[in-house]
This record gives sequence, C-alpha cells and structure tokens, in this order.
Amino acid sequence: MSTVAELPAGAGPAPAEQLAARWEEPRTVRAWFTTVDHKRIGRRYLVTASVFFGLAGVSAILLRTQLAGPEAGLLSPQEYNQLFSMHGTAMIFLFATPMLFGFGNFLVPLMIGARDMAFPRLNAFGYWVFLFAGVFMWASLPAGAAPNGGWFAYVPLTDEVNSPGLHLDVYTLGLLFLGISTTAGAINFIVTALKLRAPGMSLNRVPIFVWAIVATSFMVLFALPALNLDNGLLFLDRRFGTHFFDPEAGGNVLLWQHLFWIFGHPDVYIIVMPALGIVSAVLPAFCRRGLVAYPLVVLGVVSISIISFGVWAHHMFATGLPQLSLSFFSAASSIITIPSGLQLFAWLTTMLLGRLVMRAPLLFVIGFIVTFVIGGFTGAMFALTAFDQQVTDSYFVVAHFHYVLFGGAVFPILAAVYFWLPKITGRMFSERLARWAFWLIFIGMNVTFFPMHLSGLFGMPRRVYTYPEGLGWDPWNLLATLGSYILAVGLLLVVVGVVHALRRGKPAADDPWGGDTLEWATTSPPAPYNFPVLPEVHSLHPVWDPRTAESVAAGAPEARTLAEGRQTIRTSELDARYEQPIEMPESSLRPLVAATGLLVVFGGLLFDWYWVAAGGGLLLALTMVGWLWPPAEPT
Amino acid sequence: MTTDRLPDRRTGLIGGLLLWFGVLGGALAWTVHALAAWSIDELACAAGSSEVAGMPLRYVIGMTVLIPAAAAVAALAVTCLAWRRTEPGRAGRWRTSQDAGSPRAGTVGHALGRARMLALVGLASNLLFLTIIVLGGVATLVFPPCQR
Repeated sequence: MSTVAELPAGAGPAPAEQLAARWEEPRTVRAWFTTVDHKRIGRRYLVTASVFFGLAGVSAILLRTQLAGPEAGLLSPQEYNQLFSMHGTAMIFLFATPMLFGFGNFLVPLMIGARDMAFPRLNAFGYWVFLFAGVFMWASLPAGAAPNGGWFAYVPLTDEVNSPGLHLDVYTLGLLFLGISTTAGAINFIVTALKLRAPGMSLNRVPIFVWAIVATSFMVLFALPALNLDNGLLFLDRRFGTHFFDPEAGGNVLLWQHLFWIFGHPDVYIIVMPALGIVSAVLPAFCRRGLVAYPLVVLGVVSISIISFGVWAHHMFATGLPQLSLSFFSAASSIITIPSGLQLFAWLTTMLLGRLVMRAPLLFVIGFIVTFVIGGFTGAMFALTAFDQQVTDSYFVVAHFHYVLFGGAVFPILAAVYFWLPKITGRMFSERLARWAFWLIFIGMNVTFFPMHLSGLFGMPRRVYTYPEGLGWDPWNLLATLGSYILAVGLLLVVVGVVHALRRGKPAADDPWGGDTLEWATTSPPAPYNFPVLPEVHSLHPVWDPRTAESVAAGAPEARTLAEGRQTIRTSELDARYEQPIEMPESSLRPLVAATGLLVVFGGLLFDWYWVAAGGGLLLALTMVGWLWPPAEPT
Repeated sequence: MTTDRLPDRRTGLIGGLLLWFGVLGGALAWTVHALAAWSIDELACAAGSSEVAGMPLRYVIGMTVLIPAAAAVAALAVTCLAWRRTEPGRAGRWRTSQDAGSPRAGTVGHALGRARMLALVGLASNLLFLTIIVLGGVATLVFPPCQR
C-alpha cells in the first residue's frame, strides 16, 4: 500500500509554497466567517448537527421519562406535543441529513481527488442557512411556540382552527428555510461528483460513498419540492385563508399526506443512503479487501433511490384508498428489499472473504447490520396491507422506524466518526472508550426500542403523552425508559471519546486503517489544498494501486500540480477525461450576508412583519447581485 | 474529427442513447406504470366511473401494466446486448486493431469498462423493475377496480 501525499521530487518547494499561499486562510475572526473551504464547512456541519442531535436527545429522554410509568405528570400534554414534534423534526431534518452532508462535504472532494466542492461559496451559504434554520426552529421551544403537530404535521390537526398560535408557522417556515440549504448542498454534490473527479476516475471507479451521496442528492432534488409545496400551501391556508386542505371549501386533507409522503418516504432513504455508503467505505479497510460485487452495490444504491419514490402510499394504507391502487405500492414496498438485500449480502460476503480487523468502526458497522436487518424485516411486514392495517399508528411503527433510522443512520454515523476522526483531526481516539460506547449504545438502543414492538402489538397507540394503569403496557414502557438512559450514557461516551482524542490523542498516520480511497492518500488532517498533485486514478482502489502513487511522483505534469492559481481540474462526466483547470473562488462574506437576509425574510414572515421580510429580501437580492457580478479583469 | 468518433458499430451501444435506455428504461417504465395505474384507478373511482374514454377501467389499468412491462423487456434486451458486446476479449481485440495510435488510445478501454458496468447494473435493474410491474399486474387479476 502506498500513499500519494508527498510532493513529487521534481516539483521542489516552490509549488508547495505557492499552493499554501493560494489556499491557506489566515487565523482571523473575519476568516472564520468568510471561509469557503469544504473541510472547515464539513466540520461545522458535523458539530452543528451534533448539537441539534444533543437537543433532540434531551427531548427524547424527557419523553421517555414521562412514559416510564402510567399517569405520570412530568410533562403537560402541550409540552409533550412540542417536545415530540421537535424531537422528530430535529432528528430527521437537523441531525441526520446535515450530519451526512457534513461527511459528504468533508470527504467527497477528497475521495474524488479534487481541491474543493464545485461551488465553494454556495457551500458556505448552505451551511449558514442550515445553522440559522436550526436556531430558528429550536428558539421557538423555550418560547413555548415550537411545532406541536409531530414531524409529519398532519392536516387538519395542524390547520389554523385546531392548532392556533405560531407553532405550525415555525414548522412550515423553518422547513422551507432549511430546504434552501439542502437543495443548495444537493446541487453542489452532484456537480462536484460529475465534473471534478480526478482524471481516470470513470463511473466504474467511483467510491460507493460518492455514488450514495450523488444518488441522495438527486433524491433531494426530486423529493424536496413536494415538501416545500406542502408547507407553502399549509402556510397560505393558515395565514392567508386559502383552502387547499379545507374539505368544506373544496380542499382535500389527504393532499397533505400524499405530498408529505411523496417527500417523506424517499427521505428515509435520503437519510439511510449515505449511511449505507459509509458502511461500504469502512468495510474494505477492516476486511483488508475490496468490497465484493461493486456493480451490484451500485445497483442497490441507484435502484433504492428510484423505488423509494414509488412507495409513499404504504404510509396511507389505512386512509381508505382503493385496494387495487394500494397493491401497486405494496409490490414496490416488498421489492425494495431486494436491492437492500443485495448490499447487505455484499457486505457480509466481503466480511466472510476478508481478514477482519476488529476495531471500533467495524463494531459499529456490525451493530448497524444487526439493527438495520431487524428494522428492514418489520418494514417488509408493513408492506403487507393486511398487517399494516392492524398495527398502523401503534408503537410497533415507532419501534420499526427507530430500528431503521437509529440502526440505519446513527450506527453508520458513529462508525464514520471513529473511522474518519484521525483524518479530520489528525488524532487517534481511545479504542477502549470507543468499545464501551459501542456496547452501551448497542444494548441501550435494543432495550429502548425492542419493547416498543411489544407495547405496540398490545395496542399502545403512538403520540400519547400518558396511559392508564393495567393495560399491560407498564413493564415495556419502564424497560424502554431504562434503555434510553443506557443509550444516553453511551452517546455521552462518544462525546467524551472525541474530546479525549482532540486533547490527548496520539498523532494519526496519513492512512491509519489501510483504506483504499483517495482521502487516505493525503495528510491527516489534509492540507488546505487537499493534494499537492491531483492524482490520476487507475482502479477502483487507488490507494492500493501503485500506478496512482506513480501518477504524482517525480515528473508529475504541471497540469495536475496547478500551483499557479487557486485551481482544480474539470473532467468529463462519464469517463473523467481531463478537460481543463478551473479557477476556484476566494473566501467571501457574501454567503453569510445572503443567509442573514434569508433569516430576516423568514423571521419577518413568522411575525407578520412583511416590511421587515421585504427588507431581508432586498438584502438577499443585493448580495446576490454582488455575488454574481463578474470579477474585474486583472490589469 | 473522425478520430473522435468511436470507429465501430458496437461502440454506438457503449456511450449512446441506446445504452442509457437500457440502463434507465426499466426504471422509467415502472415509474410510468405506478403513476398511471394508480392515478387512473384513484381518479376514475373518485369520479364514480367504471370506464375511461369508453373503455372498461380494468382494461385501461391492464394496459398500464402491459405497455410498461413491454418497455422493461426491451430495455432488458438492450442491456443483454450491451453486456455481450463489452466482453473484455472483444474490447481488447477492438482496441488493439482499431484504436492504436489514435488520440483516443487508452480511453476506449476506459469507456468500455464503464459501459460494461452500466450494462450489468441495467441488466439487474430491468429484472427488478420488471418484477415489480408484474407483481402490480397480478393484482389487477385479483382485485376489481374501486374495491375499498
């Protein structure tokens, strides 16, 4: 195994100094606000999403404590409704997707051998919008105005009559605000992965994680408009008296559910897909061999991303749609297990044929496989209309989706945290702390969520803030609450482990695990310009392939050193043939100013201050004019 | 410009529209099937009608199964063909005899590797989408339209 971190012998110190001069940012307060470096933005996504995860976790602990015994009085129904709505909304929109986008931001340019994302300023803008949208939503909780209609916000429970106050206005505007960030990120990922891949990285040599991020980005672009439309219509109904969801005036309440789940089911895979990509990235390093059946894993990624759009009605089996039309969605919901299973068997075969090195990231991957299979199995049960009719809106559903989302996203995210921590920070973590964290999380997660299957089968409905004694639900709820405390301790240990690594961790090698993708071919942490020489890729495992190392050794052409400017290489979409170098933008305050303008727009809309909103819009428009204005030609 | 054109009829299948039809055809066919079959059933039933343009609803929904299924079979055939034509042996022969010395030397094998992977992905995905369409079609034999 070799690396390509060294400058080519013939390149001399001049290119390194030139590259550093062009790409390094000063350590000033202004630079902190103006940075467009994908690695800094990626780290910010990770930290911010983790903070929102912590807030959602505290909400969950409060909910579980309330449900530990019958007739508990820790929370009022109003507080419970706001906490469970914010828990779900934050976990889905403010943690899972941004966390995975954080890894994508940090890793995609490194994995494809580029120096930054395709649109670095748009990237910074996306982060600031995400931060402001998250604060916009969480700030409503201490004010007692947080969303209170669940993360799904079903109409008519959320219309103006049944949910007065700002609660649902925060929800609709907050998600519209956040959607701008997600859309900007998705476009950036697609263009980056299609146009900035290192020469030679044709489609059959693209790392699975990058495939997953691109597939996810396409899903975001196709799914998010449905949610935005839904939220826009609900905001109009609530604020301006339109009747999109009002049956008495010719509207339709089912319209909300159709639009919501046209977004909502793909969103499950928007969350899970990059996580599956993480698993495919982690396994080769700890199995000491390449991933088995690469084309079939790609098939799994692409097929799931398509089929997930055609299963939304399985969330609506109990709404009284014709049986025949339900059968089309039942068929698709059943068949989606095949591409999921293909990936699963590819991972298992890779482990079977490889030589396992049992370290913390691999433990979390194994934990993922176990929990995700259980969640997938109950998901297949829901695809059967008759079974779904029996357990719909019960705690069985809560158990299922926590197995899928906690198992399918949190375990891979934690695997990713431990796997890429040495690359991101340049420090190794304590294996002992990591193993303690894993076992507490694995045990805590199963003790929390498995009993919910049983309480659900025994008839406990979801979304209830308390329950009477003697229905047979008490022991399962107590057990679930105890499990949630164990889980919380495990997650706290992860934080302790990361802080410990940052303060006391041993310096990490460039490639401590023996990984096969290009991020391991550069220093830990990577230099601001990522690669001194942009590599030429010759196989699916470039770091294990000596030809890639040779491509940056002595005699590497100037066309791949690009020390003269702030540049990276543009290549063709399918076969990554060299096209030309492209100039990357400098740091700028405009992304932050534009995001601030948007915050003013949404804040103004929330409080009925339409002139303030118009002022924010003007600020945004002026910033965009400056942003897009062509730079002056050098004299 | 002749050097920029792949000089063999086989290669039309490697990068052209036909290959993309092969890769994405099954997915598109299923998308049309799901949306058309579902929406026709929903809309006709909501309107209380058992006919669409004078044709019994059941037959119309049957067509939304059969036509997409035929398109998925066609896409499957194209990917089979692409898979056969991008065999490494054939590709190697073709590269050495036709492409040596041209500015595209070395890049054709590159394109063939990519095309072969796409053909394999398309082959498997067409089988998958055909299966979903067929399973959806079976339901049209069992359930009468508009049954709640």
